[in-house]
Amino acid sequence: MASLASLLLGDGRLPVGAYTYSAGLEPAVAAGLTRDRIPALLRARLHTTAVTEAAAAVLALRAAGQDPADYGPVQHALTARTPAAPQREASAALGRGVHRLARRLAPDHPAVTALAALRPRPLRPVALGALGAVLKVSEEELAHAVVYDELQTIASAALKLLPGDPLDSVAWILAAEPDAARAVTAALAVPGPDRLPARTAPLTEQWALEHARRERRLFLA
Amino acid sequence: MPDNDTTPAPQPNPHFHEPLNQPRALRLGVAGPVGTGKSSILATLCRELAGELSMAVVTNDIYTDEDARFLRSAGVLPTERIRAVETGACPHTAIRDDVSANLDAVEDLEEAYGPLDLVLIESGGDNLTATFSPALADAQLFCIDVAGGGDVARKGGPGITGADLLIINKTDLAPYVEVDVAAMVADAEAARGGLPVLALSRKDPASVAELADWVRALLARHRAGSHVPTDPGPMAPHSHS
Ligand SMILES: Nc1nc2c(ncn2[C@@H]2O[C@H](COP(=O)(O)OP(=O)(O)OP(=O)(O)O)[C@@H](O)[C@H]2O)c(=O)[nH]1
Ligand SMILES: [Mg+2]
Repeated sequence: MASLASLLLGDGRLPVGAYTYSAGLEPAVAAGLTRDRIPALLRARLHTTAVTEAAAAVLALRAAGQDPADYGPVQHALTARTPAAPQREASAALGRGVHRLARRLAPDHPAVTALAALRPRPLRPVALGALGAVLKVSEEELAHAVVYDELQTIASAALKLLPGDPLDSVAWILAAEPDAARAVTAALAVPGPDRLPARTAPLTEQWALEHARRERRLFLA
Repeated sequence: MPDNDTTPAPQPNPHFHEPLNQPRALRLGVAGPVGTGKSSILATLCRELAGELSMAVVTNDIYTDEDARFLRSAGVLPTERIRAVETGACPHTAIRDDVSANLDAVEDLEEAYGPLDLVLIESGGDNLTATFSPALADAQLFCIDVAGGGDVARKGGPGITGADLLIINKTDLAPYVEVDVAAMVADAEAARGGLPVLALSRKDPASVAELADWVRALLARHRAGSHVPTDPGPMAPHSHS
């Protein structure tokens, strides 16, 4: 049914500002990550932050279906599980682009008007849940889109940060399939915001903090 | 619940703030190749106009905030009114294909210091094909300079042929690079079908005054609702004969 919509959600060309984000790759490269370790970074994200973010998006999509839609609990739970301030700020900046798109498509949709009430601004997974409601995608499609986008963000940022054959990145993504599938399954199994997994990755957080103070960077996080 | 009709909702007139129905700030883009003098033009405009207008500036750099820092240190505007946008090494995308990060910066400035009269947006120095989308800028200057050679205006490109104002900058350098400014202006005018061309040098006060007057007149048209943002669009048709 909503197949174009679910493809759109995972498409990096969606004009929501995501090209300013490297999903942690630039901070990792600055800390010494080399090209051969990119597949390992992809797996690490799939075991940690990607699960939390995909689950939060799914919970937000569920919240969007309630009357009234209340994103407070999931936003709160996700904020608490995103301990590094630069990562929260990046997520809010990216969420803003998603929110703008949702407003453009359906300004009066209750799932969209409920976003406006959130302070601080909706984090990206929360905004994606609202957009998912507008686009009528399923929970599984949304979780897949979040997980896929994470992989593709790192792979395309790698073209600028650790240049090599662009065809390599397709192979990396396909090789990550089993871990991606497990991340989606784990995200879909989360029953509510209080059970949102706190899959934090202290090293990535440390890198994010260092990146925020760095000059001459290409990506916001 | 609305059905699945996601055709774009009718848009409020983007020139007006919603509840207030006041004209929002004029957003003026400044584009052009690397080093042609975009930041200097922003500094000049701030110096000339900040006394009479409430202004703010957004810069786009390949790396974080060189241009913003240059402008802050020029002392032409309170430093907090100058914001830098990170473009993920895609300066052309940030002003055209996906303007999210720039819109965020403009909206933040309006929220913090509004109502503003004029927001200047400097593109990251890119090539001759990078122009602003009307989704971000109401109007745009395209800046080339005499040091890039007298032929640039004739070579064309969307900014040269279609920007609201084409600036041929650093005319004071013309004798040193053996460029005939009058001929360069004539080439540019021929390429632009009547759109204005300004030969500028920060050392030539008359040309600076002309630039400031052009912006004042544009702002008046914007406020009157008679300025229609136009997209310089893709490369002009050209032939390889
Ligand atoms: N002689 C002369 N030099 C100028 C003039 N305007 C700018 N410049 C010089 O040109 C150089 C580049 O100016 P900027 O204003 O930084 O140019 P820009 O287009 O912002 O550069 P990027 O942001 O790096 O693309 C600087 O050394 C300026 O001092 C002018 O009118 N005359
Ligand atoms: Mg500059």
